[in-house]
Amino acid sequence: MYKTKVRGVIIEGNKSYGQITRDILAPIDGKTPRWWFITMGIGTLMMLAGMVAIVNTIATGIGTWGLNNSVAWGWGIINFVWWIGIGHAGTAFSIFLLILRQKWRTSINRAAEAMTVFAVICAGLFPALHMGRIWLAFFIFPYPNTRGPLWVNFNSPLFWDVVAISTYFMASATFWYIGMLPDLATIRDKATNKVKKAIYGFFAFGWVGKATSWLRFETTVLILGGLAAPLVIAVHSIVSMDFATSVMAGWHTTVFPPYFVVGAIFSGFAMVLTLMIIIRKVYKYQDYVTDGHLDAIARILTFISLIMGTAYATEIFIAWYSAMEGEMYTFFHNRIAGDHTAAFWTMVTCNVFFPQLFWFKKIRSNIWAVFVISIIINIGMWFERYVIIITSLTKDYLPANWAPYAPSITEVGIFVGTLGIFVIGVLLFLRFVPMMAMSELKGVLKDTMPAKKKAGKTPDDPENKTL
Amino acid sequence: MSKAKNYIVGIFDDHDKLLNGVEATKNEGYKISDVISPYPIHEVIESLNLKTRIPVLALLYGIFAVLVTFGFLYWTSVVDYPLRFGGKPQNTLSFVVVIFVMTINITSAFTIVTFFLREKKGPGAKAHVIDEGLGDDKYAIILDEEEEKTAQQEEYLKQIGAIRIVHDKQK
Repeated sequence: MYKTKVRGVIIEGNKSYGQITRDILAPIDGKTPRWWFITMGIGTLMMLAGMVAIVNTIATGIGTWGLNNSVAWGWGIINFVWWIGIGHAGTAFSIFLLILRQKWRTSINRAAEAMTVFAVICAGLFPALHMGRIWLAFFIFPYPNTRGPLWVNFNSPLFWDVVAISTYFMASATFWYIGMLPDLATIRDKATNKVKKAIYGFFAFGWVGKATSWLRFETTVLILGGLAAPLVIAVHSIVSMDFATSVMAGWHTTVFPPYFVVGAIFSGFAMVLTLMIIIRKVYKYQDYVTDGHLDAIARILTFISLIMGTAYATEIFIAWYSAMEGEMYTFFHNRIAGDHTAAFWTMVTCNVFFPQLFWFKKIRSNIWAVFVISIIINIGMWFERYVIIITSLTKDYLPANWAPYAPSITEVGIFVGTLGIFVIGVLLFLRFVPMMAMSELKGVLKDTMPAKKKAGKTPDDPENKTL
Repeated sequence: MSKAKNYIVGIFDDHDKLLNGVEATKNEGYKISDVISPYPIHEVIESLNLKTRIPVLALLYGIFAVLVTFGFLYWTSVVDYPLRFGGKPQNTLSFVVVIFVMTINITSAFTIVTFFLREKKGPGAKAHVIDEGLGDDKYAIILDEEEEKTAQQEEYLKQIGAIRIVHDKQK
């Protein structure tokens, strides 16, 4: 049922099984390095800033944000869509590659899934705060109430959002955790410290690694992956429908769902790349996150970037082709030229032009260039959401309603706070959880051993080339 | 409570020895109770002829989820508190979105619960660890102990490459 042929070497350095365990557990067994505390300090400060901003928002109200009657969605929704986009590719990465039986996912999926979980937590904060009276947030759930019972509107994309994002959070968090059980059990077995043994033992859920367990484990993971794959697509399609089902110029288009899904995967892949380069550099995991891995992700990004370019061009073409004045104005006089030119061209440059540099092997193999471009992509994706939300809302159909928008310090504070939460989450993950799936790495080791370890094969066998 | 059973466990340190060992032991006629490995080995699962019904259950959960979600939407929007807005039908096609997502939600949740129930695992569950290397780079073949032939079984496991023999008792 699960047999697949694997191409090439995925783990370099002729590792033995024991060596993999030692390598991956080294950061957990070792002392906490100094940079960890420093980064943790910075992250905590950022989170505290965010908490001040959140308390300010809840105590005073949404009036503390820079919103007005015309621009009712500002940084709150921009950052919500940005985070949920980042949260998407983590799981998209590990799940799509799982279903496509791409074994090179093994050294990256754990970190990608962790990133997903933290990003979705950050994303979920924004709509909750945006409701204004957060203490009445439970109104959005369909429960028998004393107001009729008046049920929620099951045909509203805003309600779909609630269902989809909470489902997505549950699914990606459990998928991540179940995948971790065998590795937590390994830590439990190897631990010499009693407290550590007890804690990891508690979280390992009694895993032993019997053949029957492995069969059920793999089946369950595959089912969860199969279910989560359409979910990933559904969640961002639904987010796009928050926009597309309205009649605002620049929002009311059918291209939105695929455009948003691809955009989400784009920013998520970029974030995975950023994170994996940091992990590789800091923990010296070149043998696991090989040049081949980075090369593969860079190639995928080039392709997705072309899709993004096509989506942008389609929007502009349809605005012109529909001959609808409002659409024409939004695209040609408010984005390409006009008040928001800078944001629009930042978006295009970062998302469409910069990733094209990956066509050159020299750039793909330069780790610093790859790192910088991966960050540029996420900046570009932030500007994409800015362009979509702010250009359409500041200048809608009635010029009398036109209003400028600038974020208040509170809005910026909440964004900084979510960055802090993300940093803290990633740091805790790096310190206390095996950041690569050891059991999966061991599972692919045998089939991907370099040529000289396999009998009867020569080193220059084309089957043994990296990836 | 069932009576404790005796097992003879052969610990191996090589992937290939384990694979050949499992195959040979089966042919020799000893009953393999289970195999422990630090990562999934599909050849072992196949040669022990293990099967799982979790996929069938997941399908049933999915069908159940579709019915329950549609029933709930229909009941709330058509029966319990019908609202007509914009001349649109109360039982609408756009229910599909919520049904789709809730099917994934319910099926995933139920499948996970099934997995843990079937495996008898959960937060804080005690693990019966036979050898501490089994999560790292060691493998184990567990045989049901046959009273008269214990020594013979031990000898056989050693012969197929076990690095040591452990006696184990389990309920």
